[in-house]
Amino acid sequence: MKRILSVFLFFILLTGCAAPAAQTEPSQAQFFSMDTVMTVRVYDGPGEEAVQAARQAVEELDGLLSRTDADSQLSALNAHAGDGISVPLDSRVTELLAFAKSVSQLLPGDFDVTIAPVMDAWGFTTDQRQVPDPQTLAGALSLVDSGKLEVDKEASTARLEAAGMEVDLGAVAKGYAAGQAAAAIRDAGSSSALLDLGGNVTALGRKEDGSAWQVGVKDPQDTAQTLCVLSMEDQTASTSGGYERYFEENGIQYHHIIDPKTGYPADSGLLSVTVVSENHMLADALSTALFVAGEDAALEFWRSRTNFELVLCTADSRVVVTQGLEEGLRPTGEERGYTYEIARR
Amino acid sequence: MRSPAADRRRPTLWDGLTALLVATAAFLLLAALQSEPGESLTAAVTLDGEILAEYRLEEITQPVTLTLDELSYPLTLLVEGDGVSILHSDCPSQDCVHTGKITQAGQQIICLPNRLIVSLTGTHDLDFDAVTG
Repeated sequence: MKRILSVFLFFILLTGCAAPAAQTEPSQAQFFSMDTVMTVRVYDGPGEEAVQAARQAVEELDGLLSRTDADSQLSALNAHAGDGISVPLDSRVTELLAFAKSVSQLLPGDFDVTIAPVMDAWGFTTDQRQVPDPQTLAGALSLVDSGKLEVDKEASTARLEAAGMEVDLGAVAKGYAAGQAAAAIRDAGSSSALLDLGGNVTALGRKEDGSAWQVGVKDPQDTAQTLCVLSMEDQTASTSGGYERYFEENGIQYHHIIDPKTGYPADSGLLSVTVVSENHMLADALSTALFVAGEDAALEFWRSRTNFELVLCTADSRVVVTQGLEEGLRPTGEERGYTYEIARR
Repeated sequence: MRSPAADRRRPTLWDGLTALLVATAAFLLLAALQSEPGESLTAAVTLDGEILAEYRLEEITQPVTLTLDELSYPLTLLVEGDGVSILHSDCPSQDCVHTGKITQAGQQIICLPNRLIVSLTGTHDLDFDAVTG
């Protein structure tokens, strides 16, 4: 009897060695919005309700902010450029415009929300990508000046001073949408979710087992691989890199992140910039701005602030990670020749 | 009072059989727990959320091409035993072609102008929950 009992106990003990239970299948939706693909996964609470609330929040914003939809509020603002009319806008639009303008002022020359005419000249917002002729580019560049974007948050209006100016919120809209979607998920009663809004990943709360979300950073030189994996909780990771959208002409590759100073694709020595922040909108805006700014300026700006962290991938295959991300960092690109550095304050 | 078993110094046949049974069960169970399941990838091609085609890559012995002429920008997919790529697309951006071959569960090729997504799902767990970039 004792032998039978001991065998029985042995099996009971062995079952304790089994692999941990897999995470529950989330409620999820994948959909096209803001000219990209978005995925929302909710792991607790009223999952389906939360997913739909998040999707609705994003799609509402898309309707307001689309530059290709002639009926959007952003299109109305652009259509009135130079005619002196202050265009009445939804408070979410003026909040986003004011934020984008503040980033333009914070990082002058590296980010400008009125870059749209230059993007159009390159064809990145149309079906025909091309290297613009110098005259066209100079004309478009002369229209880039966020100082001539007037935003009145109290009256919820905005005005573009010069005819031909246009605002494009592509560098901040997904971050703002992440914040709105996260709020919608929480309001629905869920607290554990992952949002992937076109490569901007927002980790809401923690995983069901209480651990932090693990978010990989795409290798800009081999997008099937990752540079590293980060631990995240209630943060957004936003990545900008020239590998995302580009075209080739006469053997030269041109990517879509335009340097407002030159009107040409940024050539700062960085292949990608990932910004991690609890401020979703800031993460989105800074990933673009600091990609243009380059490694030294990006780290200098990081040292002057405490509300974001960085992963910089340089053209000479260094991965520079700021110290706030050190805990939980897992490098994954050594075999592909990457070296890793921790930047400290 | 000492049990008869406690008085015995030499193991009996039953002791040996029990030990053998336990060792065999432990070996089988641990082997099952530690073994990596073979990666079994499935490629799904969806158009605006509707599934157009699915392929189990382990069953692909010869490369298969799928041409979708009815799309706004016709394209051709190449399905191979180890992954999927877009061979050709008429769209001006070529972003889907630039993505190259996807070979791991969780990866996607996205063609925005056509609202087409090629997704790989599989049995092998990734060691992260999402990817930024």
